[in-house]
Amino acid sequence: MIEWLSMALLLAGAFFFFAGTVGLLRFPDVYSRLHALAKADNLGLGCALFGLALQAESLAAALKLLLIWPLVMAASASIGFAIAHRAHRLGIAPWRK
Amino acid sequence: MIIRSLFLRGLLFVALWWILAEGRHDGWLLGGIAVAAATWASLKLLPPARQSIRLAGLLAFLRFFLWNSLRGGMQVAGMALRGREALQPAIIELQVSLPPGSARILLVNALGLMPGSLGVDLDGANLRLHVLDACQPIVAETRALEVLITDLFEVTS
Amino acid sequence: MTTLMQAVALFLLANLVLALVVAARGPTPADRMLMALLIGTTGTGILVLLAQTMHLPALVDVALVLALLAAIGGIAFARRAWQDVEGEHD
Repeated sequence: MIEWLSMALLLAGAFFFFAGTVGLLRFPDVYSRLHALAKADNLGLGCALFGLALQAESLAAALKLLLIWPLVMAASASIGFAIAHRAHRLGIAPWRK
Repeated sequence: MIIRSLFLRGLLFVALWWILAEGRHDGWLLGGIAVAAATWASLKLLPPARQSIRLAGLLAFLRFFLWNSLRGGMQVAGMALRGREALQPAIIELQVSLPPGSARILLVNALGLMPGSLGVDLDGANLRLHVLDACQPIVAETRALEVLITDLFEVTS
Repeated sequence: MTTLMQAVALFLLANLVLALVVAARGPTPADRMLMALLIGTTGTGILVLLAQTMHLPALVDVALVLALLAAIGGIAFARRAWQDVEGEHD
C-alpha cells in the first residue's frame, strides 16, 4: 500500500517537474516563466520528497527529507520575487495578449 | 522575554540537529556546540522583538499556504500544457493593510507560490502583482492571506 | 521501485538539461537567472532520488546544501549582479 502511494507520488512529482519545464518553454515572458518554475517545480519536489519519505528507514531520516521542502519553497518564493522585482525595475514589460 | 526566546530557539535547533544527524547520538558534542552557536547567532541577528508568532495562527497560515501552493502548482501545470493561449496576464496594484517589516515581506514572498500571482514590486504599502489570468480572484485571495498573516504575528510588549 | 526512482531521476535530469539550453538562450538576464530556481528544485530532486537508489544517504545532505545555496545565489544576483551588468537603473 505504502509502496503504491510512494510510487504515485514520485510519478506525480515527475509530472509537475515536466509541466514546469513545458511552462518555461512555452510561456512568453520572464514573469510567466517565473510563475511556472516556482509553482510547478516546487509542487513536483514536494511530491517526490513525500514519496521518498514514505520509504525512509527512520522517522528522523523521513523528517530530514521533508525538511528540504520548506527550504526550497522559501528559496523559490524569495528568488521569484527578487527576479520579478529586478525585471520590473529594469522596465521589462510583461507580455500581453 | 529573552529567557523564553532563548529556550524556544534552543529547542528548535536541538530538534533540527536531531533531524540532521538522522537520530544518531554519536555526534552530540558537535551538536551541542552547533546548537549553542546557532542560538547565539539567531539572537544576535534577529533579536527577540515585540512581535512573536502565535501557534494557532501559524497552523492556520500553513494550512492555507500549503493548500494554495498545491492549487497554484496544479493550475500553472494545466496552463503550461495548454500553452500561452491559456494566459491572460495583467499587472494589478493594491494597497496592503499589514504593518511594514516582516509581515509585508512574508506576504509578498508567499504570493509567489499562491495560484496565479507573483509579487513584482512593494513600495511602501503599494503592492504590485503580476497575475497569469486577470479573471482569477487574486485580490480576494491576497486579502485572505493578509488576514492570516495578521493573525500570525502577535504584538506583545 | 529502484528502477522507477532511477527513471524519475533520469527524467528530471533530461528536464534540467532541456531547460538549461532554453534559458541560456533567454532574451534577458532574468531568463538566465531562472537557472537558480531550476537547480534549486530539480537539482535537489535528482540528488534525493540518487541518495535512495545509490544507498548514499550523504547525498541528502548535499541536497540540503544545494537548496540553501540556491536561495543565497538568487538573492545575491537579484540585489547586485544584474545591476552591475545593466548599469544603474535604481
